[in-house]
Amino acid sequence: MQTRKKILRTALALAIGGVLTTPAQVWTMDADDAPESVTIDSLATLYVPVEFDHALHVEITSCEQCHHHTTGGEVTDKNCARCHTTSGEADVVSCGECHESDRFHEKYLKTLEAPELYHIDKPGLKGAYHLNCVGCHQETGGPTGCQDCHTMTEAGEKLFDTHIKHSPAKGHSATGH
Amino acid sequence: MRIFSKERPEIPIVNHLKEDGTEWTIKEKLWLGLSLPEYKKQFFRNPVNWLMIGIFAIGVPLIMQRYLFGLGAVTHASNDYPWGLFLGFGLFAMVPLSASGFMLGTTVELFGRKDFHPIERLALLNGLLGYFFAVLFLEVDLGMPWRLPYPMFVSLGPAAVLFLVAWHVATYLTVQIAEVLPAFFEWIGWLKGKRIIRKMVLGLTIAGIILSTLHQGALGALFTYAPSKVHPLWLSVNFQWIHFFCSSIFAGLSMVIVSSTLIRNFMAWRCDDEFKDNLDKITMGLATGASYAMITYLIIKIVAVAHDQEWSYLLTGWGSYYMLELGVAVVLPMLMFAFGVRNQRLGLIRFAAFITVVGIVWNRLNTALVCYNWQLYQEIPHWKEVWITVTLYSLYFLTYRFIVYRLPIVYEWKGEK
Amino acid sequence: MKKTVSRRNFLKGGLAGTAAVAVLKNKESQAAHDFEGYPEGMGVLVDLTRCVGCRSCEAACNKEQGLPEPAKPFTDYSVFDEIHHGQKRRTDETAYTVVNQYDVPELDHPLFRKIQCNHCQEPACLTSCFVNAYTKTPEGAVIYNSKVCVGCRTCMIACPFYIPTFKYSSAFNPRIMKCIFCYDTRLKDGKPPACVEACPQEALTFGKRTDLIDMGRQRIRNTPGKYVDHIYGEKEVGGTAWMYLSSVSFDKVGFDTHVPKEPILNSVKDFLAMVPMVLTIWPGLFVGFHLLATRKENIKKQEQENDEKEEQA
Ligand code: SF4
Ligand code: SF4
Ligand code: SF4
Repeated sequence: MQTRKKILRTALALAIGGVLTTPAQVWTMDADDAPESVTIDSLATLYVPVEFDHALHVEITSCEQCHHHTTGGEVTDKNCARCHTTSGEADVVSCGECHESDRFHEKYLKTLEAPELYHIDKPGLKGAYHLNCVGCHQETGGPTGCQDCHTMTEAGEKLFDTHIKHSPAKGHSATGH
Repeated sequence: MRIFSKERPEIPIVNHLKEDGTEWTIKEKLWLGLSLPEYKKQFFRNPVNWLMIGIFAIGVPLIMQRYLFGLGAVTHASNDYPWGLFLGFGLFAMVPLSASGFMLGTTVELFGRKDFHPIERLALLNGLLGYFFAVLFLEVDLGMPWRLPYPMFVSLGPAAVLFLVAWHVATYLTVQIAEVLPAFFEWIGWLKGKRIIRKMVLGLTIAGIILSTLHQGALGALFTYAPSKVHPLWLSVNFQWIHFFCSSIFAGLSMVIVSSTLIRNFMAWRCDDEFKDNLDKITMGLATGASYAMITYLIIKIVAVAHDQEWSYLLTGWGSYYMLELGVAVVLPMLMFAFGVRNQRLGLIRFAAFITVVGIVWNRLNTALVCYNWQLYQEIPHWKEVWITVTLYSLYFLTYRFIVYRLPIVYEWKGEK
Repeated sequence: MKKTVSRRNFLKGGLAGTAAVAVLKNKESQAAHDFEGYPEGMGVLVDLTRCVGCRSCEAACNKEQGLPEPAKPFTDYSVFDEIHHGQKRRTDETAYTVVNQYDVPELDHPLFRKIQCNHCQEPACLTSCFVNAYTKTPEGAVIYNSKVCVGCRTCMIACPFYIPTFKYSSAFNPRIMKCIFCYDTRLKDGKPPACVEACPQEALTFGKRTDLIDMGRQRIRNTPGKYVDHIYGEKEVGGTAWMYLSSVSFDKVGFDTHVPKEPILNSVKDFLAMVPMVLTIWPGLFVGFHLLATRKENIKKQEQENDEKEEQA
């Protein structure tokens, strides 16, 4: 029951990917401008929302690591750098503004056919999160198993048939590490 | 069969009329002119029948199990090996062994080689039964046997090789029934039917050649659907159909030699003098034909290896197995045939024919089972699958014997024809 | 039993033969022309570098397709160690898709590969089926009609990827079981399949097949060293709607790299091309043989007849 309430609350409280107001005056974003924590709940049907400790991650790594060229810092990714070395801070930095939550929707797929579009292969929101998080966590030894970050909901348990009694292999995380 | 004693000169039946001038009824003909106790006595005296009873006692319940609980209950039903013994043996081996019908039909009717006439009917019957039982094997193997006519009438997939096989086997079965019917008509005494068929004989024979060439080849072509699965030595995309067609020629001829040998040895009472006197000469003729087909086959086998640049495979374990197969199943009997014909050694020829028959079964099983998925693993058939196969083959044997006992196949009907 | 065929009977026989040819030829001529895939169809690009082996796709497929409950929960990763006949897991009548783990020496982590029907452009299953049970839809899916299937399992022989499976457990209602690209429930309405939607890593990218090839190329180009320069399925067996990217050569992660680059049907063409030839040439050829072989007999017979006539006259 608790999880349910929590989902409801967070869903109401926050938009996808934690859209917070962006300070307009500053050219380059400052770590201080960033939110303390972000609740990631856009896809929270099978798993409960994730309380993402943004502050913690700011300490560990630089903004560009996750936000590509949008925060106005030095562009490190070679592919971004082809075009974005001088494009500066973007109007939006939150993940969900660029990464479609409904990535494979017919309408969105249509937009990919525009011949001038470069970003034909932008992951959807769920993909963007996981590719970013899991990729880094694998390298840095952060949590990588599904339930290391988010607990399964009842719906998730049903989907994964967790009621079946069959001893799961011990200490085996999803990535096999 | 000792029952046919001197006291009963009218048995075995070769005529519509009994000694006293009355007619045999169909029922009496069916009982071979014996009384029921006599028939029973001769039946149970034969040890082969006891063997058959043993096979059926277990086989029939197994077949029931297959129909009630699915293929999975009696076979090592596998998604990697969709085809097992039922098709590997029942379809892919039975059909070439039944090529005798069109071979001798062509020889006698088309090429006018009347010297082979005494064995023509046996060859036709051998063909008919082989095909009929191939269909029976198919009915055991098909997931939904009740939908057998679907490819013909309900949902057609004409671009598929199996479509061709289905149509041709069905048509050819009809042709063969028509070709064997005259013997039946003689036996029941319906001469009009026989005359009707007589008129169609050339058309039937030509249809037989066309259909046989195509579906014998088509059975081979079925494996070209799996170019990356069957071992390259057993599968030549370009030559597969020729390999299958060509090997069916000596397979069919050898099968007739084997079955005529058995009939002459164990059913001598049923053979007439024309059959008995000519059999040795005919056998040599068949052996000559078979050895020519074998050398042709051997050459195109080698051509295929050369064409596909597969020499290196010959040096592997699979290569040795391949050469063993060719050596034992083709080269050896071929030499035996040639030697046997030159020196009139009939025992040798008959033994060679037996090896050839087994060899063809071996080749087809190799293609369909042993060397299929050679890169994965080898599937060993479930014992129940083997038993059912043996049971069906026994049924084939019994039907064969039943007909040869009665119809004018290896003897000439003395009555009106 | 004399069997000489008189001229009149011979003609009849010839006609019957030709008629049979005409009927059969009609059928066979259709056999020769091949099936074209739909270039506008949808597909999925599977990126092995992204897959983490979470099995979400397996779980989603199981529910979407109403498949039986698995023996182990989908959160159980011990399935990766399962070996049957020396092989890793494969599709069967209870699973349209499975994920397998591959330990590759040059990587410090394993790779995972999801298998399912690849929805070939010119599917071998379809072209080998003699009751037309398979259809390649314009959307790209290869779907199956259990109402006409006779259960001969040739499609399983023909599929180069060992995908279709048979419901061997059923005596009265057997059928082929295979991934249908979620056609009925999703694809035909333009929606992505359940497994794609479930994948957290977007290891599965759904889109127009032609777009996916561009995407795959872009990934290979933009991240040098990350991928081997090949999209598996772009050319294999004439092209498949589901394609793969990998960081190591494909044979190391369970792909058959020896499948032909052209549609499977092409290897059957030699035979199919020969069919009309036999149908047209054989009758004439063998009738010719027959005439030659029986010429003497016929002449003799004719003479006899003539003699008889003369006598009568
Ligand atoms: S992968 Fe196999 S089952 Fe799927 S479309 Fe291709 S041939 Fe058919
Ligand atoms: S496309 Fe649909 S049917 Fe195929 S594997 Fe994915 S979920 Fe299963
Ligand atoms: S859901 Fe995606 S990441 Fe998970 S196993 Fe399937 S393909 Fe791999």
